[in-house]
Amino acid sequence: MSGVVEVGLGRRTRRGLAVWAWVVFAFLYVPIAVLVFFSFNASARVNIWGGFSLGWYGEALRNDVITSAIRVSLIVALISTVVSMVLGTAVALALDRYRFRGRRALDGTVYLPIVIPDITMAVMLLVFFAEAFKLIDSFGPRLTLGISTVALSHIAFNISFVCVVVRARLDQFDRTLEEAARDLYATGWQTFRRITLPLIMPGVAAGGLLALTLSLDDVVISAFVTGPGSTTLPVYVFSSIRRGVTPELNAISTLMLTASIALVLGSLALQRRRASASQQTQIL
Amino acid sequence: MTDPVAAVEIEGVTKRFGEVVAVDNIDLAIGDGEFFALLGPSGCGKTTTLRMIAGLDLPTEGSLRIFGEEVGMAPPDRRPVNTVFQAYALFPHMTVRQNIEFGLRMRGIKNPELRQRVAEATGMVRLAGMEERRPDQLSGGQQQRVALARALVNQPKVLLLDEPLGALDLKLRQEMQQELKALQREVGITFVFVTHDQEEALAMSERIGVMSEGRLLQVGTPREIYDRPASRFVADFIGRTNILEASVESASTVRLDNGALIEAETSTPEGSRVAVSLRPERVRLQPRGTTAAEGSSLDGEVRDITYLGHAVVYEVAAGPVSIEVRVEGEVGEPFAAGDEVTVAWDRGAAAVVAD
Repeated sequence: MSGVVEVGLGRRTRRGLAVWAWVVFAFLYVPIAVLVFFSFNASARVNIWGGFSLGWYGEALRNDVITSAIRVSLIVALISTVVSMVLGTAVALALDRYRFRGRRALDGTVYLPIVIPDITMAVMLLVFFAEAFKLIDSFGPRLTLGISTVALSHIAFNISFVCVVVRARLDQFDRTLEEAARDLYATGWQTFRRITLPLIMPGVAAGGLLALTLSLDDVVISAFVTGPGSTTLPVYVFSSIRRGVTPELNAISTLMLTASIALVLGSLALQRRRASASQQTQIL
Repeated sequence: MTDPVAAVEIEGVTKRFGEVVAVDNIDLAIGDGEFFALLGPSGCGKTTTLRMIAGLDLPTEGSLRIFGEEVGMAPPDRRPVNTVFQAYALFPHMTVRQNIEFGLRMRGIKNPELRQRVAEATGMVRLAGMEERRPDQLSGGQQQRVALARALVNQPKVLLLDEPLGALDLKLRQEMQQELKALQREVGITFVFVTHDQEEALAMSERIGVMSEGRLLQVGTPREIYDRPASRFVADFIGRTNILEASVESASTVRLDNGALIEAETSTPEGSRVAVSLRPERVRLQPRGTTAAEGSSLDGEVRDITYLGHAVVYEVAAGPVSIEVRVEGEVGEPFAAGDEVTVAWDRGAAAVVAD
């Protein structure tokens, strides 16, 4: 920033650092630019420019396998986000408020899915489903891996992320507000509905956004627990890349990139609106 | 109390948090329409007592009645009381109007009664025109008023106030003291307020209950509490005082530990160890030898003089004890450090307190 007084850095050092910053910047963004650029390539050869075309986008969206994968991804993301928002918030509230047997153990383990490597989690869930199916199948039904196991797995890791974000919000929560509501004739449920939930909602929403992104993004765990006909988009992309990069994949990847940028911008806009609202109140 | 039905009646109430006894077997009756203060240092159990009346804490033992009805174990939404919280606890996501409406809405009160009562309450605390603001757009004093309106709009039988003026600066606090008193006269209901500020308690309330370490030490009018403290703690906590160790000689005399015999009424048996409380502003300073016709006196020497503007405080050494004498409204300083003086006081100025 121009207003900052620079201390102890010579001109050459400064110039050197600026160049280095550009190198890092290029390292991060050139691959993305290349991807986006070639997604508009008319040629079927990935790395030879054959003129501008939106053809591969049309091709991708006409491909039934891809549209089905997109649908599966969206269903899984939606279900796992909603369920983990509810369950994650409930866990966060329980850990924050109540002293119960096993609380400390739960407090320690609820964050495990965040630190466990994806691959471990994937193997673990696969083994779990296999064992569970064996048990349930002995009573009659024949269960298989599919969209429900993918959704369950996503819920399993998303709960932790929602829980972490909501607990951070609960840490700053003033419990006397709940007492005030109780004093003003609100029942326990009314107090939660009118006071607690609205005040922790930014945390719940942020946790949900995080869960949505993680679900749309997951490859490893989904690949392990998915079954025929329930391939998610990232899993499809990953499996087709083994048959070589096609301009179609470039187009899909660009679409995913656009979607995630939109999500991030959306959440930023949301935060900014809130921040400017509170700034306004300070001026008044 | 001689009232037929007290507004708040506390009987043998004890509150334990695990091992800690926060409130230790207290009995208290607060009359209808009374402005009552619970006074004590932090951690004395005054806030816990208030919270038990509100229903936010439940007593471990004892009985608690509001206008004759047992409420000790009732949840807060089943009690005819409302609370003004220490830091107001206004709902930050609601406007002033929504805050004030909250209690009425929870009880299912609808327009037009809702609107009318909210308008009355906002008018009463002079908040008209601010209804659409949010709490963080208000000054401390205005927030305080919203908290008052939010409680009073429900027409409680008893209003509980937990350190209501603690968050305000001195000037605003004095203003709000007058306003609260006026408000209490206007609505005519019982106010129970908790404070650690003895001047505030003396200035505002009709009666004061002094608490320490979970026990209710003394209940009385501000004058009784100040002039006739029941214990050394009360004498020391309320205002400034000189505490002199003594033992009882007869029903009207005690002998100070330095040998001097002074007049003081006491019902404590002869020979008991007691303390004598002498308020610095109730004693006079005289040149040595001019003994007054009645009352008692002690000889001493001026050690130190502190000029306070509106008063002069002399520290007089009388043998091993040191006595603070506060002289107000005197022009100049008739005594200097080292002067031989006599500290004298009228009969009745010395209060004998039990240990």
